[in-house]
Amino acid sequence: MLSIKNLHVEIENKLILKGLNLDVKAGEVHAIMGPNGAGKSTLSHILSGREGYSVTEGDVLFENEDLLDFSIEERAHKGIFLAMQYPVELPGVNNMLFLKESLNAMRNARGEQPLDSIAFMKLVKEKAALVKLDEKLLKRDVNSGFSGGEKKRNEIMQMALLEPKLTILDETDSGLDIDALRIVAEGVNTLRNQDRAMIVVTHYQRLLEYIQPDFVHVLADGKIVKSGDKQLALELEEKGYSWLKQEDAA
Amino acid sequence: MNMAAIEPRDWLKQLAQPSMTRQHIEWLDTLQNEARQQLSEQLIPHRKQELWRYSNVESLFKEHYQVDDGKNQAIKRLDIHGFFITELETHRVVLVNGVFSAEFSNMSDLPEGVQLVSLNDAIHKEPDLLSNLLKQSADLNRHVFSNLNTANLCDGLFLQIDENVQLNKPVEIINVSFSAEMQVAIHPRNICVLKQGASATIIDRYVSTGDSHYFNNNFTQITLDKNARLNHYRVQQESRNAHHLGSISVSQQASSEYRNSSFSLGGHWSRTELDIDFKNQYAQCHLQGLYIVGDEQVQDFHLNIRHDVPSCSSSENFKGILYGKGKAIFDGLIYVARDAQKTDAHLSNKNLMLSRQAEIDSKPQLEIYADDVKCSHGTTIGELEQQQIFYLRSRGIHEETAKKMLCLGFAGEVINDIEIDSLKQQLLKQVSRALRTASLNNDE
Repeated sequence: MLSIKNLHVEIENKLILKGLNLDVKAGEVHAIMGPNGAGKSTLSHILSGREGYSVTEGDVLFENEDLLDFSIEERAHKGIFLAMQYPVELPGVNNMLFLKESLNAMRNARGEQPLDSIAFMKLVKEKAALVKLDEKLLKRDVNSGFSGGEKKRNEIMQMALLEPKLTILDETDSGLDIDALRIVAEGVNTLRNQDRAMIVVTHYQRLLEYIQPDFVHVLADGKIVKSGDKQLALELEEKGYSWLKQEDAA
Repeated sequence: MNMAAIEPRDWLKQLAQPSMTRQHIEWLDTLQNEARQQLSEQLIPHRKQELWRYSNVESLFKEHYQVDDGKNQAIKRLDIHGFFITELETHRVVLVNGVFSAEFSNMSDLPEGVQLVSLNDAIHKEPDLLSNLLKQSADLNRHVFSNLNTANLCDGLFLQIDENVQLNKPVEIINVSFSAEMQVAIHPRNICVLKQGASATIIDRYVSTGDSHYFNNNFTQITLDKNARLNHYRVQQESRNAHHLGSISVSQQASSEYRNSSFSLGGHWSRTELDIDFKNQYAQCHLQGLYIVGDEQVQDFHLNIRHDVPSCSSSENFKGILYGKGKAIFDGLIYVARDAQKTDAHLSNKNLMLSRQAEIDSKPQLEIYADDVKCSHGTTIGELEQQQIFYLRSRGIHEETAKKMLCLGFAGEVINDIEIDSLKQQLLKQVSRALRTASLNNDE
């Protein structure tokens, strides 16, 4: 589904990703772990099309198309979803209206008719229940005055609504207490199936107790330095990221 | 047009000629002659005066207008119904180029204690009352355009509500302006008197046909007695050739409440002046507004809130969206006299700039001579946030739609406060349309 080859990315003339390789197939969950500043967020942003980054070398193919050719919204239409680390607040933009606009934009891109209000309401309520998102929050402005946990649930609810092929969870665990983390993870797990893939970007192993990855990659200094199964995450937790650096040096 | 520009003083004099058609009423003739006299002496608005510094009033004096003689037959062919808002039930007053139109107005089923008539009718039927009210306004000593309005005064609306009468259905004033063979100057005058404990809602709409070319110099005087409440909506959506000067003067007695929501979306040059005068304690006013301004447009708001007595409160919240080479002026003055202790006054002006070439001159002013008051003011000028646009686009929403949603979100605070749903929906449509014109993708 996703194939990243020798990716080099600069931001403001500073090289952040230095030859990253990653292959993600449908049905797989990949965890990307790594110390601060390793380039985890850059990877999330480059996949979703955020401006301000420049690719100096390498390729990103999504379902055999050059992903880098597409605009932010086109990537969304093709099935890429980024659950953000810091979902922004949109004062004055009603959450329900936003969700409807978003879902219908996706449907339109697929050549489908927009959902009518009643069908849409039903669908949103169903998805909100999945992540235990208070229905009152649907009537409020997008993320405005939401708690950290509510914002993350709103993200996962959008994911459930839009049913992307590839989801990138960017540090979804940051700022969540254990209960919220469990609810968010359960939401994510119900969406797992053989057609969908996920990239879970995280600093801590904690989230991976709830969302069990098929693969764990360690991203350090702009490259994947080690890959393995979920055991690798446990090992990292125990020994810390410095362990890898020592191993590197050895 | 190729006519040579004339001096502003002559421009004013030409437009203030006595009317040949109106029948003579002595007290009114005197009042109008006084206004003409003042016109020939008063200071001419000029960019060197603080109140007119950014407004480019010179552009108005370059236009060639004629007094509308009211004989224009094209009125009959106008599609006035096209301006009606479906599902909006009102006592409807239609003024065509400032003249009351019985044909299109609907003022039946008024409750007892409510007088809603054309100003011309009122002048003939209640000369004592009207001469008093009009003399009061002459004393307000405003600028030349108020005197120009008085000099041309012939029609408009007169609304009077008796003590403790609640007028539930809103009064809607549709000001339709148009120019056919000639560019015209129009001077409607509206007078609203709410007696003790009375309440009403007014929807004041300014519309025009096609790309009509005219100067609408309207003047509204409002008197609120003790405990009276008025909710006043004002929507200017005129042609891109229109010059619009709207003066609203409000006099408030104890514990009265005045609310104004002003939407200024159209016109080529549009200036709205809101003067609030607190005459007695515990009165309050809440003013809010939204202006959207683009290429070849000037939107100008002047607020003058005078706290001369203690314990009154005022709030002003105005928002602007500017695109292209649009230009807006916001000048909000809160004056608190030495005796006006316990004043509570807050003013805010927020502007969203969609283009680097747009210009806003925002001047919030607090002039405070009392020492026990709560007052604040603030202005912000900002752009759409890239992070917010990214968020919406990452959810599949096209860039242009995303920007429009954010603009509507910005404007929403003012629109969502509208208590009349059909009017709110109409304004949402108007604002969306104005934003579409803003060609949001083209922000350089």
